[in-house]
Amino acid sequence: MRKQWKFLLALVAAFGLFAAACGSDGDDAADGGGDSEAAADGIGADKTVGLTFDLLGRGDQSFNDSAAAGTDKAKADFGVTVNEITPTDASARAGDLQLQAENSDLVVGVGFSFAQAAAEVAAENPDVKFAVVDDSMMNFDTGEPLAPNAAGLVFAEEQGSYLVGVAAGLKTETNVIGFIGGVSGIGLIEKFEAGFVAGVQSVNPDAEVKVDYISEFPDFAGFESPDRGKEIASAMYGEGADIIYAAAGLSGSGMFQAAADHTAAEGSKVWGIGVDSDQYNTVDPSVQEYVLTSMLKRVDNAVYNITEDVLKDNFVPGEVRYDLAAGGVDYSTTGGFIDDITGEIDEAKQAIIDGEIEVPTAP
Amino acid sequence: MLAALHRLPTWLRFALYASVGVLVLAIAESFESGGVGRLTADTASRAMLKWCIPILLAGLGGLFSERASIVNIGLEGMMILGTWFGAWAALEFSPWMGLVFGVLGGALGGLIHAVATVSFGVDHVISGVAINIMAPGVTTFLSSEVFGNRTQSPDVPGLGEVDVPVLAGGTFFGAETPDILGSIADQGVFFVSDLASFARGLVSGIAIFSLIALALVPLSGWFLWKTRAGLQLRSAGEYPLAGESLGVNVIRRMYLGVVVSGALAGLGGAFIAMELTGFYQNGQTGGRGFIGLAALIFGNWRPLGILAAAFLFGYPFGVSLRDLDGQSTHALLLVVSFCLAVVSLWAATARRLVDAVMALVFAVVMFAWYVQTDVAPDWLPNAMPYVIVLLVLVFAAQRLRAPAFDGQIYRRGAT
Repeated sequence: MRKQWKFLLALVAAFGLFAAACGSDGDDAADGGGDSEAAADGIGADKTVGLTFDLLGRGDQSFNDSAAAGTDKAKADFGVTVNEITPTDASARAGDLQLQAENSDLVVGVGFSFAQAAAEVAAENPDVKFAVVDDSMMNFDTGEPLAPNAAGLVFAEEQGSYLVGVAAGLKTETNVIGFIGGVSGIGLIEKFEAGFVAGVQSVNPDAEVKVDYISEFPDFAGFESPDRGKEIASAMYGEGADIIYAAAGLSGSGMFQAAADHTAAEGSKVWGIGVDSDQYNTVDPSVQEYVLTSMLKRVDNAVYNITEDVLKDNFVPGEVRYDLAAGGVDYSTTGGFIDDITGEIDEAKQAIIDGEIEVPTAP
Repeated sequence: MLAALHRLPTWLRFALYASVGVLVLAIAESFESGGVGRLTADTASRAMLKWCIPILLAGLGGLFSERASIVNIGLEGMMILGTWFGAWAALEFSPWMGLVFGVLGGALGGLIHAVATVSFGVDHVISGVAINIMAPGVTTFLSSEVFGNRTQSPDVPGLGEVDVPVLAGGTFFGAETPDILGSIADQGVFFVSDLASFARGLVSGIAIFSLIALALVPLSGWFLWKTRAGLQLRSAGEYPLAGESLGVNVIRRMYLGVVVSGALAGLGGAFIAMELTGFYQNGQTGGRGFIGLAALIFGNWRPLGILAAAFLFGYPFGVSLRDLDGQSTHALLLVVSFCLAVVSLWAATARRLVDAVMALVFAVVMFAWYVQTDVAPDWLPNAMPYVIVLLVLVFAAQRLRAPAFDGQIYRRGAT
């Protein structure tokens, strides 16, 4: 009798482990690839793109979703097959890229943390093309690409941030504005800060910008801690800020909650500015009315373009820069909260494209 | 003088300690150039209360388990189960059901741990680690099946917040009441206003969920020390053979301890999902289960000690988040240095010269750090719990007393 019980328990435990294994990444790799209803007669019908997400994967309402939108479009337009993998921990990146390389013509790593792994895996798989979002994939000592088959998709985040900075500078009533960065010390989020502050000051020199980062490199928790983002945002609103720009990945959703809470408690409306994708469309409907605008980082365009380049044999290794002029960054107007000032923002946009305004990249 | 202190009722003694703490904080921050009183503000104590709850519940969870001799490294995993089940039920039914299901999810993890360790005699650490590995896998799987998204759920409603009437201006049966603490805080009198403001944060805007968690502290103490079942449970943690010989079903008590342990951790997980974050998110527990174990050690396996530890760990974390320019956290360095100096003095009067010298050296190092810098680094409050526990282990190890049978495997009939 006792033996049977043990056997049953062992079965239950085994099922638990099985569920754990399924939960990690097996399921996604399968459902991404099985989709064959797309335009199968496109030029990419026999090609495969291996889309390798950063830790949060599809559904982060931000960066990864934007990349997925790019491959979704490529799938519809060219009929390429897309394999999606979401790494379960940071140490698995090289292995995930290698896995993708074995079945793909183009491997996309979503996030700068793939840079080193992509350079190594690219060297071992010379027939496969690689692209890393948010890293230039350049050797800055020699000025050469890190690998002849790896491209780096970088964005002029400071230019997009400048535009939402202009919006914040014009819209603020308290002349106190906040900036929440996800992780300091990488140099990436500092670009957002520098552009945003410059944008605010260009239209409103009296405004004070309170800057705080959630975590410091190498602690990446700052990109996925909505709870901490909420606390920091609530402190900023409490100290008089009425608009906050969060460049902090998923943590930004905490800012919108804080905006709703503060508005409800104090009776005066405060705002948040979203990042990467049009967050008006991605946040919970209950906080939509607090999304003033979003800084758009068109990762979808970049991923779509690099896919097209590979399919048409136009692939060029090394840095590919997406700025305002190239449609790589922009601002959103969904919700209609900044309709009265789009003229001024578009002036600034044109001035940046024309080179009249030089946006700083470091604070 | 110390003896006189100990004759006071416990709650008065702790209130006195807290007042001294607020005084020290107020003095320390007054040295900062741009000091805006963040350390003693009501927002600081409110943040402390909010961030300490998961640590407190994990610590209480550890208490029930270790008092029954089972080490529970799996608290983190049980918390993770609590985050998912809590968020799911809150979305599916109501926030109160979220609380219930968070408890059930954690208890399920506890039950697995109990079966492995108590019935099968698996090493406690191995079983706990297995649960920590399994839980995120299970929740990721459930999340992708149920929410259609493997990393997070839609927004989850919380249980809401209340203001205490009279003290903090809450409503009493619909009638407005005065905000006594608030008006004292607005007077701007040094220390008195600081104290009022700090106290106000503990009674205003307080999450109903937090009240429930706080109520569990005396409840745990009452159960473990004042009831027959509690005594039997503790006997399993001290000397199970003795209990067994007197006819106590220690195996059942061990099961009770571990399942309650998981339930409390699960409640902590539900708090994180429903109140702190506002939705379920992969990995949102962020190691709080382990910090709960640290709180258990710091608190000397006692409920009030765990509460004190949770406050001590939650405070620097909450304050540093609200500290936009890093100055208030910087003032904490001075506080730590001061506390170490006091420890040094205390060790010297007890003629423990080695301890006294070591504490003094640490105090000087902290003071030098304080003087040399203007702002504290962001990682400091994250490291604080571990540093504090290390210091406690160094200086007060003799005073710590774990349950005697803690971590050992009991086999019925074996001697």
